[in-house]
Amino acid sequence: MLELNDVDTAYGAVPMLRNVVMSVQAGELVCLLGPNGAGKTTTFMTVCGVVRAQRGKVSVMGKDIAVLGTENLASLGVGLVPEGRRLFPGLTVLENLRLGYDAVSARGPNFEPQLEKMCALFPRIRERLRQLAGTLSGGEQAMVALARALIGEPKLVIMDEPSLGLSPKLIGEYFEITQEIHRRGTTILLIEQNAEMGLSIADRGYVLVKGKVAQEGPAKELLSSKVAKSLYL
Amino acid sequence: MAELLVQQLVNWITLGCIYALLAIGFSLIFGVLNVIHFSHGDVAMTAPFIALALVQGSMAVVGVTGPAWLLLAVVVAVLAVGVIGIALDKIVIRRFRDAPAMMALVATVALGIVIRELIRHLYPQGSNPHAFPRLVSGMAFEVAGVSVSWFALLVVAITAILVTLLFVFLRMTALGLRIRAASEDRVVARMMGIRDSRVFRATFFIASAIGAIAGLLFASYAGVTRFDFGVMAGLLGFSAAVIGGLGSMPGAILGGLIIAGIEVLAQTFVPDGASYRLVFVFLLVIAVLIFRPAGLLGRTVMEKV
Repeated sequence: MLELNDVDTAYGAVPMLRNVVMSVQAGELVCLLGPNGAGKTTTFMTVCGVVRAQRGKVSVMGKDIAVLGTENLASLGVGLVPEGRRLFPGLTVLENLRLGYDAVSARGPNFEPQLEKMCALFPRIRERLRQLAGTLSGGEQAMVALARALIGEPKLVIMDEPSLGLSPKLIGEYFEITQEIHRRGTTILLIEQNAEMGLSIADRGYVLVKGKVAQEGPAKELLSSKVAKSLYL
Repeated sequence: MAELLVQQLVNWITLGCIYALLAIGFSLIFGVLNVIHFSHGDVAMTAPFIALALVQGSMAVVGVTGPAWLLLAVVVAVLAVGVIGIALDKIVIRRFRDAPAMMALVATVALGIVIRELIRHLYPQGSNPHAFPRLVSGMAFEVAGVSVSWFALLVVAITAILVTLLFVFLRMTALGLRIRAASEDRVVARMMGIRDSRVFRATFFIASAIGAIAGLLFASYAGVTRFDFGVMAGLLGFSAAVIGGLGSMPGAILGGLIIAGIEVLAQTFVPDGASYRLVFVFLLVIAVLIFRPAGLLGRTVMEKV
Protein backbone atom coordinates (compact mmCIF):
# COMPACT_ATOMS: atom_id res chain seq x y z
CA MET A 1 0.00 0.00 0.00
CA LEU A 2 2.94 2.29 0.72
CA GLU A 3 6.46 2.03 -0.55
CA LEU A 4 9.52 4.25 -0.22
CA ASN A 5 12.24 3.17 -2.56
CA ASP A 6 15.70 4.64 -1.92
CA VAL A 7 14.26 8.04 -1.04
CA ASP A 8 16.38 11.14 -0.43
CA THR A 9 14.75 14.36 0.78
CA ALA A 10 16.30 17.71 1.66
CA TYR A 11 15.19 21.12 2.90
CA GLY A 12 17.25 23.37 0.67
CA ALA A 13 20.83 22.26 1.08
CA VAL A 14 20.14 20.38 4.33
CA PRO A 15 19.69 16.65 3.70
CA MET A 16 16.87 15.14 5.76
CA LEU A 17 16.27 11.58 4.49
CA ARG A 18 18.92 9.40 2.91
CA ASN A 19 18.34 6.13 1.05
CA VAL A 20 15.14 5.41 2.96
CA VAL A 21 13.59 2.10 1.99
CA MET A 22 10.40 1.02 3.72
CA SER A 23 7.00 -0.45 2.95
CA VAL A 24 3.61 -1.01 4.48
CA GLN A 25 1.56 -3.98 3.24
CA ALA A 26 -2.23 -4.25 3.35
CA GLY A 27 -3.52 -5.15 6.82
CA GLU A 28 -0.32 -4.22 8.64
CA LEU A 29 0.25 -1.80 11.48
CA VAL A 30 3.77 -0.51 10.96
CA CYS A 31 5.49 1.79 13.40
CA LEU A 32 8.18 4.26 12.30
CA LEU A 33 10.29 5.27 15.28
CA GLY A 34 12.99 7.83 15.75
CA PRO A 35 14.31 10.46 18.14
CA ASN A 36 13.76 14.20 17.62
CA GLY A 37 15.25 15.38 14.34
CA ALA A 38 15.51 11.87 12.90
CA GLY A 39 13.29 12.83 9.95
CA LYS A 40 9.97 11.30 11.01
CA THR A 41 7.82 14.28 10.06
CA THR A 42 9.85 14.75 6.88
CA THR A 43 8.98 11.14 6.04
CA PHE A 44 5.29 11.93 6.66
CA MET A 45 5.48 15.04 4.49
CA THR A 46 7.35 13.17 1.75
CA VAL A 47 4.81 10.33 1.76
CA CYS A 48 2.01 12.94 1.51
CA GLY A 49 3.72 14.70 -1.38
CA VAL A 50 4.01 17.98 0.52
CA VAL A 51 7.80 17.64 0.38
CA ARG A 52 9.23 16.31 -2.87
CA ALA A 53 11.69 13.44 -2.79
CA GLN A 54 14.93 14.49 -4.48
CA ARG A 55 15.77 10.95 -5.38
CA GLY A 56 13.96 7.63 -5.30
CA LYS A 57 10.25 6.95 -5.54
CA VAL A 58 7.32 7.11 -3.13
CA SER A 59 4.34 4.97 -4.12
CA VAL A 60 1.03 5.24 -2.32
CA MET A 61 -1.65 2.70 -3.26
CA GLY A 62 0.52 1.79 -6.23
CA LYS A 63 0.77 5.34 -7.56
CA ASP A 64 3.76 7.66 -7.67
CA ILE A 65 3.05 10.49 -5.21
CA ALA A 66 5.04 12.94 -7.37
CA VAL A 67 2.47 12.41 -10.13
CA LEU A 68 -0.53 11.87 -7.87
CA GLY A 69 -0.29 15.04 -5.72
CA THR A 70 -1.31 15.51 -2.09
CA GLU A 71 -4.90 16.46 -2.89
CA ASN A 72 -5.62 13.09 -4.54
CA LEU A 73 -4.52 10.94 -1.60
CA ALA A 74 -7.83 11.13 0.23
CA SER A 75 -9.85 9.97 -2.76
CA LEU A 76 -7.56 6.92 -3.04
CA GLY A 77 -8.52 5.98 0.50
CA VAL A 78 -5.65 7.45 2.51
CA GLY A 79 -6.49 9.18 5.80
CA LEU A 80 -3.90 11.52 7.28
CA VAL A 81 -3.31 12.68 10.85
CA PRO A 82 -0.58 15.34 10.70
CA GLU A 83 1.74 16.21 13.57
CA GLY A 84 0.19 18.57 16.11
CA ARG A 85 -3.31 17.48 14.95
CA ARG A 86 -3.61 20.57 12.73
CA LEU A 87 -7.38 20.84 12.88
CA PHE A 88 -8.88 23.90 11.22
CA PRO A 89 -9.20 25.93 14.43
CA GLY A 90 -11.75 28.45 13.18
CA LEU A 91 -14.06 25.73 11.87
CA THR A 92 -16.39 23.72 14.07
CA VAL A 93 -15.71 20.08 14.90
CA LEU A 94 -18.60 19.13 12.61
CA GLU A 95 -17.10 21.15 9.74
CA ASN A 96 -13.70 19.53 10.28
CA LEU A 97 -15.32 16.10 10.11
CA ARG A 98 -17.35 17.09 7.05
CA LEU A 99 -14.15 18.04 5.23
CA GLY A 100 -12.63 14.68 6.18
CA TYR A 101 -15.69 12.91 4.80
CA ASP A 102 -15.93 15.00 1.61
CA ALA A 103 -12.24 14.34 0.96
CA VAL A 104 -12.94 10.65 0.45
CA SER A 105 -16.54 10.46 -0.68
CA ALA A 106 -18.35 12.62 -3.14
CA ARG A 107 -20.82 14.76 -1.19
CA GLY A 108 -23.53 12.23 -0.53
CA PRO A 109 -26.24 11.18 1.87
CA ASN A 110 -24.00 8.92 3.92
CA PHE A 111 -22.35 11.54 6.09
CA GLU A 112 -24.80 11.19 9.00
CA PRO A 113 -24.29 7.43 9.54
CA GLN A 114 -20.52 7.92 9.33
CA LEU A 115 -20.70 10.78 11.80
CA GLU A 116 -22.70 8.53 14.12
CA LYS A 117 -19.98 5.88 13.86
CA MET A 118 -17.31 8.40 14.80
CA CYS A 119 -19.36 9.63 17.75
CA ALA A 120 -19.71 6.01 18.92
CA LEU A 121 -15.94 5.50 18.62
CA PHE A 122 -15.11 8.85 20.26
CA PRO A 123 -18.05 9.62 22.58
CA ARG A 124 -16.56 12.96 23.70
CA ILE A 125 -16.86 14.33 20.16
CA ARG A 126 -20.66 14.24 20.16
CA GLU A 127 -21.10 17.09 22.63
CA ARG A 128 -18.43 19.17 20.91
CA LEU A 129 -19.76 19.05 17.35
CA ARG A 130 -20.82 22.74 17.24
CA GLN A 131 -17.72 23.95 19.07
CA LEU A 132 -14.80 25.60 17.25
CA ALA A 133 -11.99 23.05 16.92
CA GLY A 134 -9.43 25.55 18.20
CA THR A 135 -11.20 25.73 21.56
CA LEU A 136 -10.92 21.98 22.29
CA SER A 137 -8.44 20.48 24.74
CA GLY A 138 -5.36 18.70 23.36
CA GLY A 139 -6.89 15.28 23.97
CA GLU A 140 -10.14 16.22 22.28
CA GLN A 141 -8.26 17.68 19.33
CA ALA A 142 -6.32 14.42 18.98
CA MET A 143 -9.59 12.45 18.87
CA VAL A 144 -11.16 14.82 16.30
CA ALA A 145 -8.02 14.66 14.12
CA LEU A 146 -8.22 10.86 14.13
CA ALA A 147 -11.97 10.91 13.53
CA ARG A 148 -11.44 13.33 10.61
CA ALA A 149 -9.01 10.87 9.05
CA LEU A 150 -11.30 7.87 9.68
CA ILE A 151 -14.73 9.25 8.78
CA GLY A 152 -14.31 8.47 5.08
CA GLU A 153 -13.40 4.84 5.92
CA PRO A 154 -9.87 4.96 4.47
CA LYS A 155 -7.93 1.85 3.61
CA LEU A 156 -4.65 3.31 4.87
CA VAL A 157 -4.17 5.75 7.76
CA ILE A 158 -0.88 7.57 8.31
CA MET A 159 -0.44 9.20 11.73
CA ASP A 160 2.40 11.54 12.62
CA GLU A 161 3.22 11.53 16.36
CA PRO A 162 -0.39 11.40 17.54
CA SER A 163 0.62 10.92 21.19
CA LEU A 164 2.64 14.14 21.32
CA GLY A 165 1.44 16.36 24.16
CA LEU A 166 -1.14 13.90 25.49
CA SER A 167 -1.33 12.76 29.12
CA PRO A 168 -0.28 9.13 29.81
CA LYS A 169 -3.94 8.18 30.37
CA LEU A 170 -4.98 9.67 27.05
CA ILE A 171 -2.03 8.08 25.26
CA GLY A 172 -3.21 4.68 26.48
CA GLU A 173 -6.75 5.40 25.34
CA TYR A 174 -5.49 6.66 21.97
CA PHE A 175 -3.39 3.56 21.30
CA GLU A 176 -6.31 1.30 22.26
CA ILE A 177 -8.46 3.03 19.67
CA THR A 178 -5.66 2.78 17.08
CA GLN A 179 -5.41 -0.94 17.76
CA GLU A 180 -9.17 -1.32 17.44
CA ILE A 181 -9.15 0.48 14.07
CA HIS A 182 -6.39 -1.85 12.90
CA ARG A 183 -8.34 -4.89 14.09
CA ARG A 184 -11.27 -3.75 11.93
CA GLY A 185 -9.01 -4.06 8.88
CA THR A 186 -7.45 -0.63 8.38
CA THR A 187 -3.78 -0.55 7.42
CA ILE A 188 -1.83 1.90 9.58
CA LEU A 189 1.54 3.62 9.44
CA LEU A 190 2.14 5.02 12.91
CA ILE A 191 4.99 7.51 13.15
CA GLU A 192 5.90 7.71 16.82
CA GLN A 193 8.51 8.78 19.30
CA ASN A 194 6.96 6.73 22.09
CA ALA A 195 8.72 3.51 21.10
CA GLU A 196 7.34 1.25 23.81
CA MET A 197 3.72 2.16 23.16
CA GLY A 198 4.14 2.21 19.38
CA LEU A 199 5.87 -1.16 19.14
CA SER A 200 3.47 -2.75 21.64
CA ILE A 201 0.64 -2.51 19.10
CA ALA A 202 2.61 -2.73 15.83
CA ASP A 203 3.31 -5.73 13.60
CA ARG A 204 6.58 -4.37 12.28
CA GLY A 205 8.75 -1.35 12.87
CA TYR A 206 11.46 0.83 11.39
CA VAL A 207 13.95 2.86 13.40
CA LEU A 208 15.00 6.10 11.76
CA VAL A 209 18.23 7.75 12.91
CA LYS A 210 19.61 10.91 11.30
CA GLY A 211 17.48 10.41 8.21
CA LYS A 212 18.48 6.79 7.64
CA VAL A 213 16.73 3.53 8.48
CA ALA A 214 19.01 2.16 11.21
CA GLN A 215 16.97 -0.94 11.97
CA GLU A 216 13.82 -2.74 10.89
CA GLY A 217 11.98 -5.88 11.79
CA PRO A 218 9.06 -7.41 13.68
CA ALA A 219 7.88 -5.18 16.52
CA LYS A 220 8.66 -7.77 19.20
CA GLU A 221 12.25 -8.08 18.02
CA LEU A 222 12.69 -4.33 17.90
CA LEU A 223 11.31 -3.98 21.41
CA SER A 224 14.14 -6.14 22.69
CA SER A 225 16.84 -4.87 20.33
CA LYS A 226 19.78 -2.98 21.74
CA VAL A 227 19.63 -0.21 19.12
CA ALA A 228 16.01 0.62 19.81
CA LYS A 229 16.49 0.34 23.57
CA SER A 230 19.52 2.60 23.57
CA LEU A 231 17.59 5.19 21.62
CA TYR A 232 14.35 5.34 23.56
CA LEU A 233 13.46 2.97 26.25
CA MET B 1 -27.64 71.87 11.94
CA ALA B 2 -29.94 68.82 12.14
CA GLU B 3 -30.28 68.85 8.38
CA LEU B 4 -26.51 68.95 7.96
CA LEU B 5 -26.06 66.03 10.35
CA VAL B 6 -28.68 63.91 8.60
CA GLN B 7 -27.18 64.74 5.22
CA GLN B 8 -23.71 63.74 6.43
CA LEU B 9 -25.13 60.58 8.00
CA VAL B 10 -26.51 59.59 4.59
CA ASN B 11 -23.17 60.41 2.92
CA TRP B 12 -21.31 58.45 5.60
CA ILE B 13 -23.37 55.30 5.17
CA THR B 14 -23.24 55.48 1.36
CA LEU B 15 -19.49 55.98 1.23
CA GLY B 16 -18.90 53.51 4.09
CA CYS B 17 -20.73 50.78 2.17
CA ILE B 18 -18.61 51.38 -0.96
CA TYR B 19 -15.37 51.26 1.05
CA ALA B 20 -16.58 48.15 2.86
CA LEU B 21 -17.14 46.37 -0.46
CA LEU B 22 -13.62 47.31 -1.57
CA ALA B 23 -12.20 46.14 1.76
CA ILE B 24 -14.03 42.80 1.57
CA GLY B 25 -12.07 41.94 -1.59
CA PHE B 26 -8.75 42.73 0.08
CA SER B 27 -9.71 40.73 3.16
CA LEU B 28 -10.99 37.75 1.23
CA ILE B 29 -7.84 37.46 -0.88
CA PHE B 30 -5.55 38.02 2.09
CA GLY B 31 -7.51 35.54 4.21
CA VAL B 32 -7.18 32.76 1.67
CA LEU B 33 -3.83 33.46 0.00
CA ASN B 34 -2.02 35.49 2.66
CA VAL B 35 -1.20 37.94 -0.13
CA ILE B 36 -2.00 41.65 -0.10
CA HIS B 37 -3.34 42.21 -3.59
CA PHE B 38 -2.35 45.85 -4.02
CA SER B 39 -3.77 46.05 -7.53
CA HIS B 40 -7.26 45.14 -6.27
CA GLY B 41 -8.32 48.82 -6.41
CA ASP B 42 -7.18 49.08 -10.02
CA VAL B 43 -8.94 45.82 -10.91
CA ALA B 44 -12.12 47.19 -9.31
CA MET B 45 -11.90 50.47 -11.22
CA THR B 46 -11.67 48.74 -14.60
CA ALA B 47 -15.39 47.94 -14.18
CA PRO B 48 -16.65 51.50 -14.84
CA PHE B 49 -14.49 51.66 -17.98
CA ILE B 50 -15.81 48.32 -19.24
CA ALA B 51 -19.39 49.45 -18.53
CA LEU B 52 -18.81 52.81 -20.26
CA ALA B 53 -17.23 51.11 -23.26
CA LEU B 54 -20.20 48.76 -23.55
CA VAL B 55 -22.75 51.57 -23.28
CA GLN B 56 -20.91 53.72 -25.82
CA GLY B 57 -20.28 50.71 -28.04
CA SER B 58 -23.96 49.74 -28.02
CA MET B 59 -24.89 53.29 -28.92
CA ALA B 60 -22.40 53.39 -31.78
CA VAL B 61 -23.21 49.95 -33.16
CA VAL B 62 -26.90 49.38 -32.41
CA GLY B 63 -27.84 53.00 -31.88
CA VAL B 64 -29.73 52.36 -28.65
CA THR B 65 -29.06 53.21 -25.05
CA GLY B 66 -31.04 53.55 -21.84
CA PRO B 67 -31.38 52.09 -18.34
CA ALA B 68 -31.70 48.50 -19.59
CA TRP B 69 -28.47 48.78 -21.60
CA LEU B 70 -26.73 50.38 -18.62
CA LEU B 71 -27.88 47.54 -16.38
CA LEU B 72 -26.71 44.97 -18.91
CA ALA B 73 -23.35 46.77 -19.23
CA VAL B 74 -22.96 46.79 -15.44
CA VAL B 75 -23.67 43.05 -15.17
CA VAL B 76 -21.22 42.25 -18.00
CA ALA B 77 -18.60 44.52 -16.40
CA VAL B 78 -18.91 42.76 -13.03
CA LEU B 79 -18.58 39.31 -14.61
CA ALA B 80 -15.70 40.47 -16.82
CA VAL B 81 -13.78 41.90 -13.87
CA GLY B 82 -14.35 38.62 -11.99
CA VAL B 83 -12.74 36.78 -14.90
CA ILE B 84 -9.93 39.38 -15.08
CA GLY B 85 -9.27 38.67 -11.39
CA ILE B 86 -8.91 34.93 -12.10
CA ALA B 87 -6.63 35.67 -15.07
CA LEU B 88 -4.37 37.97 -13.04
CA ASP B 89 -4.04 35.28 -10.38
CA LYS B 90 -3.21 32.67 -12.98
CA ILE B 91 -0.74 34.82 -14.90
CA VAL B 92 0.96 36.73 -12.08
CA ILE B 93 -0.10 36.31 -8.46
CA ARG B 94 -0.02 32.51 -8.14
CA ARG B 95 3.68 32.56 -9.00
CA PHE B 96 4.34 34.37 -5.72
CA ARG B 97 2.16 32.17 -3.49
CA ASP B 98 5.07 30.55 -1.71
CA ALA B 99 7.51 33.43 -2.22
CA PRO B 100 8.45 36.00 0.45
CA ALA B 101 5.59 38.48 1.07
CA MET B 102 7.70 41.37 -0.27
CA MET B 103 7.84 39.80 -3.73
CA ALA B 104 4.07 39.43 -3.97
CA LEU B 105 3.67 42.99 -2.73
CA VAL B 106 5.99 44.45 -5.37
CA ALA B 107 4.41 42.28 -8.08
CA THR B 108 0.87 43.42 -7.24
CA VAL B 109 1.92 47.09 -7.04
CA ALA B 110 3.52 46.71 -10.48
CA LEU B 111 0.40 44.97 -11.74
CA GLY B 112 -1.68 47.97 -10.64
CA ILE B 113 0.53 50.29 -12.66
CA VAL B 114 0.20 48.04 -15.71
CA ILE B 115 -3.61 48.03 -15.40
CA ARG B 116 -3.77 51.83 -15.04
CA GLU B 117 -1.49 52.45 -17.99
CA LEU B 118 -3.39 49.97 -20.15
CA ILE B 119 -6.65 51.79 -19.40
CA ARG B 120 -4.98 55.14 -20.14
CA HIS B 121 -3.63 54.02 -23.49
CA LEU B 122 -6.35 51.67 -24.70
CA TYR B 123 -9.46 53.64 -23.69
CA PRO B 124 -10.22 56.57 -26.01
CA GLN B 125 -8.89 59.75 -24.36
CA GLY B 126 -7.94 57.58 -21.43
CA SER B 127 -6.01 60.29 -19.59
CA ASN B 128 -9.12 62.44 -19.23
CA PRO B 129 -11.89 62.05 -16.64
CA HIS B 130 -15.02 60.43 -18.06
CA ALA B 131 -18.50 61.21 -16.83
CA PHE B 132 -20.17 58.16 -15.30
CA PRO B 133 -23.97 58.08 -14.94
CA ARG B 134 -25.87 57.62 -11.67
CA LEU B 135 -27.05 54.03 -11.69
CA VAL B 136 -30.38 55.26 -10.35
CA SER B 137 -31.55 58.84 -10.02
CA GLY B 138 -34.14 60.76 -8.03
CA MET B 139 -35.06 61.12 -4.38
CA ALA B 140 -36.64 58.27 -2.45
CA PHE B 141 -37.92 60.05 0.67
CA GLU B 142 -37.24 62.91 3.04
CA VAL B 143 -35.89 62.74 6.62
CA ALA B 144 -35.63 65.89 8.79
CA GLY B 145 -35.77 68.02 5.69
CA VAL B 146 -33.07 66.04 3.92
CA SER B 147 -33.84 64.12 0.75
CA VAL B 148 -32.44 60.61 0.65
CA SER B 149 -31.61 59.53 -2.88
CA TRP B 150 -32.48 56.22 -4.49
CA PHE B 151 -28.78 55.86 -5.18
CA ALA B 152 -27.96 55.91 -1.42
CA LEU B 153 -30.64 53.27 -0.84
CA LEU B 154 -29.31 51.21 -3.75
CA VAL B 155 -25.78 51.27 -2.31
CA VAL B 156 -26.98 50.17 1.13
CA ALA B 157 -29.24 47.47 -0.34
CA ILE B 158 -26.51 46.09 -2.63
CA THR B 159 -24.02 46.02 0.25
CA ALA B 160 -26.46 44.28 2.57
CA ILE B 161 -27.37 41.70 -0.10
CA LEU B 162 -23.74 41.02 -1.07
CA VAL B 163 -22.59 40.68 2.53
CA THR B 164 -25.48 38.31 3.29
CA LEU B 165 -24.84 36.24 0.16
CA LEU B 166 -21.13 36.06 0.93
CA PHE B 167 -21.85 34.98 4.50
CA VAL B 168 -24.29 32.29 3.35
CA PHE B 169 -21.86 31.13 0.65
CA LEU B 170 -18.91 30.84 3.03
CA ARG B 171 -20.90 29.25 5.87
CA MET B 172 -23.38 27.03 4.09
CA THR B 173 -21.90 25.72 0.87
CA ALA B 174 -19.28 23.03 0.25
CA LEU B 175 -17.07 25.42 -1.74
CA GLY B 176 -17.39 28.05 0.99
CA LEU B 177 -16.29 25.51 3.60
CA ARG B 178 -13.30 24.59 1.45
CA ILE B 179 -12.34 28.24 1.03
CA ARG B 180 -12.49 28.73 4.82
CA ALA B 181 -10.43 25.58 5.37
CA ALA B 182 -7.78 26.67 2.85
CA SER B 183 -7.62 30.09 4.48
CA GLU B 184 -6.77 28.39 7.81
CA ASP B 185 -4.22 25.80 6.67
CA ARG B 186 -3.46 25.29 2.99
CA VAL B 187 -1.27 22.22 3.48
CA VAL B 188 -3.84 20.34 5.54
CA ALA B 189 -6.58 21.51 3.18
CA ARG B 190 -4.69 19.73 0.39
CA MET B 191 -4.49 16.63 2.59
CA MET B 192 -8.30 16.83 2.81
CA GLY B 193 -8.52 16.65 -0.97
CA ILE B 194 -9.09 20.38 -1.45
CA ARG B 195 -7.59 21.64 -4.70
CA ASP B 196 -5.77 24.96 -4.29
CA SER B 197 -6.51 26.04 -7.83
CA ARG B 198 -10.31 25.77 -7.43
CA VAL B 199 -10.28 27.62 -4.13
CA PHE B 200 -8.10 30.41 -5.55
CA ARG B 201 -10.21 30.69 -8.70
CA ALA B 202 -13.39 31.06 -6.69
CA THR B 203 -11.77 33.51 -4.27
CA PHE B 204 -10.40 35.75 -7.02
CA PHE B 205 -13.66 35.72 -8.93
CA ILE B 206 -15.75 36.64 -5.89
CA ALA B 207 -13.30 39.27 -4.58
CA SER B 208 -12.84 40.88 -8.01
CA ALA B 209 -16.57 40.84 -8.83
CA ILE B 210 -17.42 42.45 -5.47
CA GLY B 211 -14.61 44.94 -6.12
CA ALA B 212 -16.12 45.66 -9.54
CA ILE B 213 -19.48 46.44 -7.94
CA ALA B 214 -17.69 48.77 -5.50
CA GLY B 215 -15.85 50.38 -8.44
CA LEU B 216 -19.11 50.97 -10.31
CA LEU B 217 -20.75 52.45 -7.22
CA PHE B 218 -17.66 54.58 -6.55
CA ALA B 219 -17.71 56.01 -10.09
CA SER B 220 -21.45 56.49 -9.93
CA TYR B 221 -21.18 58.27 -6.55
CA ALA B 222 -18.44 60.58 -7.87
CA GLY B 223 -20.24 61.00 -11.21
CA VAL B 224 -16.92 60.52 -12.96
CA THR B 225 -14.20 57.93 -13.45
CA ARG B 226 -10.54 58.25 -14.31
CA PHE B 227 -7.80 55.78 -15.15
CA ASP B 228 -5.99 56.42 -11.83
CA PHE B 229 -9.02 56.21 -9.51
CA GLY B 230 -7.87 52.69 -8.69
CA VAL B 231 -4.97 54.06 -6.64
CA MET B 232 -7.24 55.88 -4.22
CA ALA B 233 -9.88 53.14 -4.26
CA GLY B 234 -7.15 50.62 -3.47
CA LEU B 235 -5.61 52.68 -0.69
CA LEU B 236 -8.96 53.37 0.96
CA GLY B 237 -10.16 49.77 0.60
CA PHE B 238 -6.88 48.40 1.88
CA SER B 239 -6.87 50.88 4.79
CA ALA B 240 -10.41 49.86 5.70
CA ALA B 241 -9.37 46.21 5.66
CA VAL B 242 -6.30 46.95 7.82
CA ILE B 243 -8.29 48.98 10.36
CA GLY B 244 -10.94 46.25 10.64
CA GLY B 245 -8.39 43.42 10.57
CA LEU B 246 -7.14 41.86 7.34
CA GLY B 247 -8.91 38.59 6.71
CA SER B 248 -11.99 39.54 8.76
CA MET B 249 -15.25 40.17 6.89
CA PRO B 250 -16.96 42.02 9.78
CA GLY B 251 -13.68 43.91 10.18
CA ALA B 252 -13.76 44.99 6.53
CA ILE B 253 -17.28 46.38 6.96
CA LEU B 254 -16.37 48.14 10.20
CA GLY B 255 -13.18 49.54 8.65
CA GLY B 256 -15.10 50.85 5.64
CA LEU B 257 -17.60 52.62 7.88
CA ILE B 258 -14.85 54.08 10.10
CA ILE B 259 -12.88 55.47 7.17
CA ALA B 260 -15.97 56.96 5.56
CA GLY B 261 -16.97 58.37 8.96
CA ILE B 262 -13.62 60.14 9.36
CA GLU B 263 -13.81 61.52 5.83
CA VAL B 264 -17.31 62.87 6.36
CA LEU B 265 -16.52 64.29 9.82
CA ALA B 266 -13.40 66.02 8.52
CA GLN B 267 -15.31 67.54 5.62
CA THR B 268 -18.10 68.72 7.91
CA PHE B 269 -16.32 70.03 10.98
CA VAL B 270 -12.73 70.85 9.98
CA PRO B 271 -12.10 74.10 8.07
CA ASP B 272 -11.01 73.12 4.56
CA GLY B 273 -11.51 69.54 5.77
CA ALA B 274 -12.08 68.19 2.26
CA SER B 275 -8.40 68.80 1.52
CA TYR B 276 -7.28 67.19 4.78
CA ARG B 277 -9.69 64.27 4.97
CA LEU B 278 -7.14 61.71 3.79
CA VAL B 279 -4.60 62.99 6.33
CA PHE B 280 -7.01 62.00 9.12
CA VAL B 281 -7.79 58.67 7.49
CA PHE B 282 -4.16 57.63 7.11
CA LEU B 283 -3.22 58.92 10.58
CA LEU B 284 -5.79 56.47 11.89
CA VAL B 285 -4.28 53.70 9.76
CA ILE B 286 -0.85 54.43 11.27
CA ALA B 287 -2.32 54.49 14.79
CA VAL B 288 -4.03 51.14 14.26
CA LEU B 289 -0.83 49.60 12.88
CA ILE B 290 1.08 50.83 15.96
CA PHE B 291 -1.40 50.02 18.70
CA ARG B 292 -3.44 47.16 17.23
CA PRO B 293 -1.54 45.62 14.31
CA ALA B 294 -4.08 42.84 13.84
CA GLY B 295 -6.84 45.44 13.34
CA LEU B 296 -9.94 46.06 15.42
CA LEU B 297 -11.58 42.68 14.71
CA GLY B 298 -8.57 40.74 13.39
CA ARG B 299 -6.98 37.73 15.02
CA THR B 300 -3.42 38.06 16.24
CA VAL B 301 -1.26 35.48 14.50
CA MET B 302 1.91 34.28 16.17
CA GLU B 303 4.57 33.80 13.53
CA LYS B 304 7.06 30.98 14.10
CA VAL B 305 10.62 32.23 13.58
